[in-house]
Amino acid sequence: MAGLTEAQVQDRIREEAKKALATGEVSAVVGWTSTRFEDKTKPYFAETEAECDLLVWNKYCINGTGKFALDDRYPEKKIAIIARGCDSRALNRMLRDKQLKRENLYIIGVVCDGKENAVCEGCQHKNPLTYDVLIGEPVEEQIDADRFKEIEAFEKLSPDERYEYWAKQYDKCIHCYACRNACPACNCVECYADQYRTGWQGKAADREQNQVYGLTRAYHVGDRCIECGECERVCPMNLPIMRQTKKMLKDINDLFGDYECGLPDDAMPILGSYKLEDPDEFM
Amino acid sequence: MKLAKKDLNKALEILSAGAIVFAPTFEMIEDKSEGGQTMAEKKFMPYKEGMFIALDGPNTVKPPKDILFPNVEKMYRYKTGVNAEIQEIIPEDTKKILFGIRPCDMRSIDSMDKVFLTKEYVDSYYAKRRENVVTVAFGCTEPERTCFCDSMGIDPNNAPSADVMMNVAKGSNGDAFILEAYTDKGKELLEQIKSLDGGAGEAQRDTKCQLQINKDPELDKKLAGMFEHPIWDKITKGCIGCGTCTFVCPTCYCFDIDNENYGAEGCKYRCWDSCMFSDYTRMAGGANPRPTKKERLRNRYMHKLSYFNERYGETLCVGCGRCVANCPSHLDISEFIEKATAADPNAETYTDAPGKEA
Amino acid sequence: MSIKKDDNWEPKILAFCCNWCTYTGADLAGLNRMKYPENVRTIRVPCSSRVNPQFILRAFQKGADGVLVCGCHPGDCHYATGNYFTRRRFMLMQRLLEYNGIDPKRFQAKWISGSEAAKFRDTVTEVSAQIKALGPNTKFVSPHYDNAVQAKEGGAE
Repeated sequence: MAGLTEAQVQDRIREEAKKALATGEVSAVVGWTSTRFEDKTKPYFAETEAECDLLVWNKYCINGTGKFALDDRYPEKKIAIIARGCDSRALNRMLRDKQLKRENLYIIGVVCDGKENAVCEGCQHKNPLTYDVLIGEPVEEQIDADRFKEIEAFEKLSPDERYEYWAKQYDKCIHCYACRNACPACNCVECYADQYRTGWQGKAADREQNQVYGLTRAYHVGDRCIECGECERVCPMNLPIMRQTKKMLKDINDLFGDYECGLPDDAMPILGSYKLEDPDEFM
Repeated sequence: MKLAKKDLNKALEILSAGAIVFAPTFEMIEDKSEGGQTMAEKKFMPYKEGMFIALDGPNTVKPPKDILFPNVEKMYRYKTGVNAEIQEIIPEDTKKILFGIRPCDMRSIDSMDKVFLTKEYVDSYYAKRRENVVTVAFGCTEPERTCFCDSMGIDPNNAPSADVMMNVAKGSNGDAFILEAYTDKGKELLEQIKSLDGGAGEAQRDTKCQLQINKDPELDKKLAGMFEHPIWDKITKGCIGCGTCTFVCPTCYCFDIDNENYGAEGCKYRCWDSCMFSDYTRMAGGANPRPTKKERLRNRYMHKLSYFNERYGETLCVGCGRCVANCPSHLDISEFIEKATAADPNAETYTDAPGKEA
Repeated sequence: MSIKKDDNWEPKILAFCCNWCTYTGADLAGLNRMKYPENVRTIRVPCSSRVNPQFILRAFQKGADGVLVCGCHPGDCHYATGNYFTRRRFMLMQRLLEYNGIDPKRFQAKWISGSEAAKFRDTVTEVSAQIKALGPNTKFVSPHYDNAVQAKEGGAE
């Protein structure tokens, strides 16, 4: 781990958290703390110096921290976020979508070597991309040659097989909206699914409504997905949600060139912009 | 009576002649793409010939409550305009057997019975389904690490309100079960599978929950005075506000009523709702008495641990551990119970790191 | 699915037409007494970029066998840039639907200007023939819709 052991990183996190709180400009530091189970940690808001000592760093720190910055959109004080590579991309995403102000954030970046989480295997950004202070030495990034392998394999099935597969998956969905609430690209002030009186989204958790929800969400976040895998991790019914959003990303890469989201550049999301020379299939 | 494990399918075969038998099994969804994995989900499904019955092991992800209280229940169909009419939809009169539900889930059905059938109001949809259900409870053999029902006053080995109680036979190493009828419905059920009776035997009832928690026996009364306690601010921070805990909970019974229109006709249905959603308490004018996740999670915990006691005299949390196992943020109601038990109800501030020297 | 396939079956096609180009083009086709299949139902929208991807999904759920989105040619948009967004949007939507098992012929987009009455006629005729060849859509069809159709088929008539 980039020169530092897990315990050393944890000490550094606590130290930086205390420093941040001591400035008086930060209301809380968002990180992880232990639970009663050894292999689970939970997101934690440390608000006092003593609580900073409850922050932990280990391979089970899998929850995204970035989304918690949205809990208070008009904060009186800054909020400090302990950010791995994916969390920093989440923050970039929300900054780009103008949901957050950079001056309201204090980002404690931590170089991450992957967690006990399947999505980490394909991680292309172990180093935080945006931070105020960095813990650990930056490591060399890996290019994931298999980024769309799963999608390509699925595309080879027949249309009927694909439809059946998704229909069965959407039958399982219980409409808990955990995927939406965990997703840093799902940052609308009010989700269309919560405006159910307008008739966009029915409340019943049947196949019909689940298909609408699943495809709408996949499409809506498809060009802004940072591939953190939170949607799939949080799903209590184990729906392969990333398989939909990654399909969008794959097509975007094929049609409009190399594309990755949540980088510090100021690029507009694909569906929020256009180019005159875009390919045209509708002539 | 004694039933050998190898006769389990035979027994369900006999029972399914006169009823739909719901038993825990694995539903497989095959991913036919290259390198794809077949996904298995443990759930209650109608018995089919040769079905694998997953009695032991972890409990199902979704509770069996949807057999009595379906996720989407159509209430009536209607036509509008000149030929306006209303056509009521009454649940089918099919006998159902709920086979192999755990004592925690059986207790949850007791709680739902109280809600839907007592206090001078009878929910006709629920009542209709309930009277057609026979329950066969199965004493836990391998509680999960998230199970804490015995701390909530439930015996993982015995479900007193079940129609039939089923336990592993002592000394059989899981190869035989002892079935005991508790009600007339249960006696009738055992009568049907009498031919498989392997004689007498003693039930093994020594399972203990893995998770033992320290709960104040008067926690409901203590919490009633802690509505404004600073603990709520602290413990709700990590919540992401999804509805997972309520939908996997065997005792969450809230529903919403909505309709779906197709031209001049439509259907009124009711479906599960979750108090964790922003529109749950939102009023027509837009005001929301529970504006943030703090108020919503507080309501959920208070309902489970205090409000329900006030109205029905029992705790609504049955300790099945589903919300503990499935919470995206790894929040833990058992941890809250311990923290609330230890907390000073009159404290002005709350910290997770008390007594630590700065 | 309960939708019966018979020889007299005609597809239901929903066409979202932009007010400024395609709808005018369709009007012109009418003025010129051009004949095109009557199984196309037109919905006028201010701009092809007004069409939310959800409309398409809902159309299939509520019984459409095909959906067509038509707008001004790129560069001609009444709102200057609307159809550039449409272009990106529906190229991706078409692929996402195909990925979910919908034949790409069932959802098409075309640029048809106000003077292209003949192109409107030809497009609609072609799409209609393609969808007729594919047969009734059975994917994404709402069970509620299915019930309503069943009730009608078995009931009044």
